[in-house]
Parts: sequence; C-alpha cells; structure tokens
Amino acid sequence: MVGFNQPPKKAYYTKWVITKGGSISVVGSTNVNKFSCAIADYYKPDTLTFYQQNSSTAFQITGSLALDVQHFDCHNPPMTANLRKALKAKEFPYLTITFISLNRYPANLSNTETLKGLVTIALAGVSKRYEINYRITPNGKKALTLEGTRQVNFSDFNIVPPRKIGGMIQTDNALQVKFNLNVKVLDYQPSL
Amino acid sequence: MKKIISSGFISGIILFVLSYGGLFISIRFFPQLYTDYNNPLFNADGSRDIFFYLHAFVFSFALSWFWSRFKGMFKGSFIIRGLEFGMVYALVALLPVMWITFSSLDITLNIVLSWFMYGFIQAIIAGIVFAKVNA
Repeated sequence: MVGFNQPPKKAYYTKWVITKGGSISVVGSTNVNKFSCAIADYYKPDTLTFYQQNSSTAFQITGSLALDVQHFDCHNPPMTANLRKALKAKEFPYLTITFISLNRYPANLSNTETLKGLVTIALAGVSKRYEINYRITPNGKKALTLEGTRQVNFSDFNIVPPRKIGGMIQTDNALQVKFNLNVKVLDYQPSL
Repeated sequence: MKKIISSGFISGIILFVLSYGGLFISIRFFPQLYTDYNNPLFNADGSRDIFFYLHAFVFSFALSWFWSRFKGMFKGSFIIRGLEFGMVYALVALLPVMWITFSSLDITLNIVLSWFMYGFIQAIIAGIVFAKVNA
C-alpha cells in the first residue's frame, strides 16, 4: 500500500544541460523611449530533463532558470535602476522560468525547428503560466540553442507599470521576454 | 489679502493650463528630451500626482504674496514688471535650488537647465498676471 501511494518513477527521455553563453532580455517601451534590458552570459549549470508518458502526449520537462533581477542591465544606469525598482528586485530578487512541457520533441536535432511549450514565470511574488514559442537551432555536435519568446504584461504580476511626472511619461504594460540558452544534449533516446 | 488670493488663483489657473499643456505637447513632439525621467529618483507609482498638479497653485499663491509685499519695487509697464519679477525669482530662489539639486542628485544638466527655464518662464507669466491684476 505504501508503494501504491508513491508517484511512479518515470524514466527520462533526454536531458539538456545549460552551458555558457546564454542570455535573457526584456524589451519594453514608454511613451518617450524604448528599453532593452538583458542578462548577458547567463550561466548556471541547470539541467532540463524531458519525460514522456506515451508517444501521443506532450513532453513534460523539469528544470528552471533562476535569474537575478539585479543582474539586468539596460545599458543606461538610471534605466537599469528603474527596471529593477519596477520589478521589485529588493523584495523579490529572482525571476524564475520553470519549464513545464514541450508540445513535441524536435524531430531532428540537426535542423532548426519551431515548437511550443508551457512555462511558469514567477516574478515579484506572482507566478503565471504561459505558452511560449521556441526556436531550436543546432549549435554544434549534440548542442542546441534554445530561443524562447513571450509577451507578458506588468499587470500579470500585479506590477503597476512605472509612470513619471504626473503620469505624463508612462511605461507600456507589455514586456517582451526573450531567452537564448545554449544546451548540450545528453542521453538522447530517439527510439523511445 | 483678497487681492493676494484672487491674483494667486488666476495665475494658478493660467499656469496650470500653460505648464501642463506645454509639457504634454512637448512630450508628444520631443519625446527624446524626456528619456532621462526614466530614473528611480522620480516617483513612479502615481501616489504623488495630486501634489505634482497642485504645483501651479502652490507656486502662484506663494509668488502672489511675494508680489504684494514687493510690487512697489518693480517699475515700468506690466510686461517689464513681470519680466523683472521673473528674473528676481530666478536669481533668488531658482538658481540656488537648482545648484544644490544638480550637486546632490543623480540627474543630468539638461534636466536641471530645463527646470530652471521652466520656473523662470512660469515666474515671468505669474509676474505679468500680478502686474495686471494686482498693480
């Protein structure tokens, strides 16, 4: 009975190890300018592990990215400080992207492919699930570049977009989040 | 006292329309001049907007009292009196405040100069109004 209550032990399909050279950016705009803030050279040795219950279901993924909001750089110190403050970096220092699923595994790792998947983005103490567009590009032997893009809103995370001088300068609610990760493919099992 | 309040109120309304109207139009047509305001030094949550929009009236009532005390010192046509009044305000109040603001806050020279000109023009307009309404 004890064994019956335990979650089934799943065999993983493959693992992607995040390697150096990744980046994450957020692009937004105000009524007076546009801003692009990035964490360049993101590297934390995270692993994305892919599972599949049966061949007709989407791939489940475990693994996440924890991004230090203080590391965002907008190439303009006041703008950088402004973004960090808007994202409540002192209270909630991490932006976390947790990978949930991929609609299918890339058919051929030697071609560029476009896929969809689910992630949870946690920011400023609020978690929100999004469908995300991925582009997977081969990047050497058993290596890939995983590019994900998604538009999110400040309001999704209960953040009021910054407004200055009586609301005459207003930040648009929409933010484009884009990440580029270099990954190394391990234990590839195409026959599953 | 009645003259101070009435001329302050009239000046407040005129400055409110000209200042915020001018700012709105300026942001629309010259947005690049305002990118420096994306700085955490400036309040971003809207909680102080009411104070921002009351500035024209606070400014007008204060200067109206100042005018009533010293208006005898400003001679000439109402335009000359208004112009001199604006220059006195700029020299006595604006210049030292802008000086300490630039020296202590992380803001650009352009912002400080624009604030100086903004206050100077506001004071000239207020002076012209006072010279007309409360000669």
